Amino acid sequence: MSENKKNLILSVKDLEVKFKVRNKILTAIRRISMDFEEGKVVAIVGESGSGKSVFTKTFTGMLEINGMISNGEIWFEGRDLAKIKSDKEWEQIRGKKIATVFQDPMTSLNPVKTIGDQISEVIIKHQGKSKSEAKTMAIEMMGKVGIKNAEKRYDEYPFMYSGGMRQRIVIAIALACRPRILICDEPTTALDVTIQAQIIRLIKDLSQEYGFTTIYITHDLGVVANVADVVAVMYAGQIVEYGNVEEVFYDSRHPYTWGLLSSLPQLGEKGENLFAIRGTPPSLFEEIKGDAFAPRSNYAMKIDYEQEPPFFKVSDTHYAKTWLLDPRAPKVEPPAAVAHLHERMLALTSKGGIYGER
Amino acid sequence: MKKYILVRILKSIISIFAVVSIIIIMIYTLIPSDKVFDNDAGAKKMKGDQLTTYKMKKLEELGYLDYVSGTELCTTAFGEDGKDACLAAGSTQMEEAAAPYAAKGYDIMTLKSGEKYAVHRFKWYELLLRFYKKLFVVDSVNAVKTDDPDFERKYYWGKNPYNGTPALKCSGCTYKYQMYFDGSFPFIHQNKFRLDFGTSFPTSQGVPTMQVITDGQGANKKIDQTFDTGLTESSALIQTSCQYKPKVDHLDQKRFTDNYAACLSFHESPSMVNTSYILGLIALVIAYGMGLPFGIAMAANKDKAVDKLGIAYINLLIAVPSLAFIFFMRSIGTLFGLPDKFPQLGFNDIRSYIMPVLILALLQTPSLMMWLRRYMIDQSNADYVKFARAKGLSQREIFRKHILRNAIIPIVNGIPASIILCISGALITESAFAVPGMGKMLPDAIKMTNNNMVITLVFIFTSLSIFSVLIGDLLMTVVDPRISLAEKGGE
Repeated sequence: MSENKKNLILSVKDLEVKFKVRNKILTAIRRISMDFEEGKVVAIVGESGSGKSVFTKTFTGMLEINGMISNGEIWFEGRDLAKIKSDKEWEQIRGKKIATVFQDPMTSLNPVKTIGDQISEVIIKHQGKSKSEAKTMAIEMMGKVGIKNAEKRYDEYPFMYSGGMRQRIVIAIALACRPRILICDEPTTALDVTIQAQIIRLIKDLSQEYGFTTIYITHDLGVVANVADVVAVMYAGQIVEYGNVEEVFYDSRHPYTWGLLSSLPQLGEKGENLFAIRGTPPSLFEEIKGDAFAPRSNYAMKIDYEQEPPFFKVSDTHYAKTWLLDPRAPKVEPPAAVAHLHERMLALTSKGGIYGER
Repeated sequence: MKKYILVRILKSIISIFAVVSIIIIMIYTLIPSDKVFDNDAGAKKMKGDQLTTYKMKKLEELGYLDYVSGTELCTTAFGEDGKDACLAAGSTQMEEAAAPYAAKGYDIMTLKSGEKYAVHRFKWYELLLRFYKKLFVVDSVNAVKTDDPDFERKYYWGKNPYNGTPALKCSGCTYKYQMYFDGSFPFIHQNKFRLDFGTSFPTSQGVPTMQVITDGQGANKKIDQTFDTGLTESSALIQTSCQYKPKVDHLDQKRFTDNYAACLSFHESPSMVNTSYILGLIALVIAYGMGLPFGIAMAANKDKAVDKLGIAYINLLIAVPSLAFIFFMRSIGTLFGLPDKFPQLGFNDIRSYIMPVLILALLQTPSLMMWLRRYMIDQSNADYVKFARAKGLSQREIFRKHILRNAIIPIVNGIPASIILCISGALITESAFAVPGMGKMLPDAIKMTNNNMVITLVFIFTSLSIFSVLIGDLLMTVVDPRISLAEKGGE
């Protein structure tokens, strides 16, 4: 999509992922092409089941056993990750080059192994260090993610840590081998709001220090507005809008993005019903004709039901996949809730707001 | 933690006594006392008054009742001199002698000969009281009753005659060797505290029940040994087991300088407990040695050939009744020239053990495999496994370092019980091979109305089960850091 080809770290072309579910084929990712620039923070947003997690799982070969990449290429460091079959090859990438942080820190750590063991394990595995070297590095890493008394807490077990602390450990493990990409799969969903802000801050700081690319998967648009450089909106296994964070938030073009932004609970007015996108996402078992969002859209046109829209360029960095951007389409105004988003969002993310620094 | 263990032990002991008490009450009050004589050869030869008197004496011995014979009645009432007149047939003095007992609540019964006797059947609480009163025996220097004024009563240090290690000896106690050391489990042996469950009846009459279970079997085994007197001869006597004997004969005097000459003997074959234990332990090691790796392999290759083969094996072994399996295996064994009865080749031939051990082991494998597989598959869906994969660990490393560590926890909990309860033997397997082990002790004892034996076995099995659960729980704290045993909350 991006014309600007410099410093691409990961490049996805025409990716299609299928799952075999009860003898039926489900297409979870429907031909996505997307480039990731080095050092940027990319947020992938969308409702549950839109394929956000599946999309990023293909980067580390972590698809479930019944899933497979049926088409497309994923270029990383000069090799096509979509072609990798053996676990042995994946082990060179997973955890070493591309690391993942999962949603629930309470269950991400092995309950019967010490924190220290779980961190040094990766260092020993990927960097071939001795046990004592790995321990030194692990303790240093624990300090980096904000664990006090790291030396003492090295031999403690996960149950002795709070949720926020555990997520810090998970991040320490993920970053222990200095990966080039960090995938954060809803890293703060299971945490309470104050801890959320701390964890997001931590990831942001570390990404500046170590210079890794961050891919956030989230449906929390507040988080997105706070940390992301680039936002990709996903719907029904496709990216429907893509652009810099300001562009997607304040100049969004796709009706689905409008819907998402309108339903932000933080933006709701007291006393009014919270906005909800009507209907449900389409079944991915069947082939989708036209624009997948059309049946739920208030702006659907006849062509939306017949032909899949291409990506229309809004700016050099901003693209949206909707027929509304076609010159022949009638002029429509985004809903009122989205219109004054800028000021309201600013209030939320500035100091003192819900997502602001504390 | 310490407090918790203490409380747990206390609770365990209470449970053991509760169980044993219930068993005692059931045995003594619910089973007709006459059934005791159903299998007694002695009673079968008697009839009439002789039989009645015999039964009363035995029942008193067994703790059912307090029996006062006619002779005793008369002696208490009229003294040694007057008892003959009282005992004479048709004497009215008999009534007179019995009267005080009737007043005490004794039943006064009359034999066919006209002689009277008094009987008091114990109530359930009296039964319990009497049982526990005689259960705990602490040996002391005053244990031996003798009129000899020169009899020395003291503890002193001597040597274990078999290995020369120090041994605490006693003169005046029931047992000469109070404490000694040797190479057999539990290495430190003592005779200071004992549990007295009474004697076995009607089988092994007069032998203490504990001795029936723990004494060696088969012919006596003679070994060369030196006695106190300096006499060295080949003898089967176990010197460390000697008890006080009021009257010693010239043979005893040749060996011992004191009256401690009532000794147990070495035997060719191990005791019932040991027999079961040897078989059980070897089988257990084989079962875990086979079951665990197989279970792990099944979980690691879920839905693949190994897994399917394992499931077929598990299903087969669970579906086939164990009795059928045992006899089937036994006949396979005979094809390879292995004996179908344990005593054919006896204890000293390894071939006697192969089939019983193999069968015992195989019977344990299905549940072991099934549970380990299930725990591992459960664990492999956990989030930490997903994260471990994302860390770049290989499937093998994840299985070994992460999943197994978690899945083994519930298995570890059951290991002490498996080890300890080997003692109780395996009823069906041991019966099929006629192994002289513990397996059939309890059913046999019940069948023969061997009350004391039943109580002894219940006590042993209950204690072992309860304490093996406790040990299992303690072991859990070692393998699972999350578990800390405390009365309330953690530390």
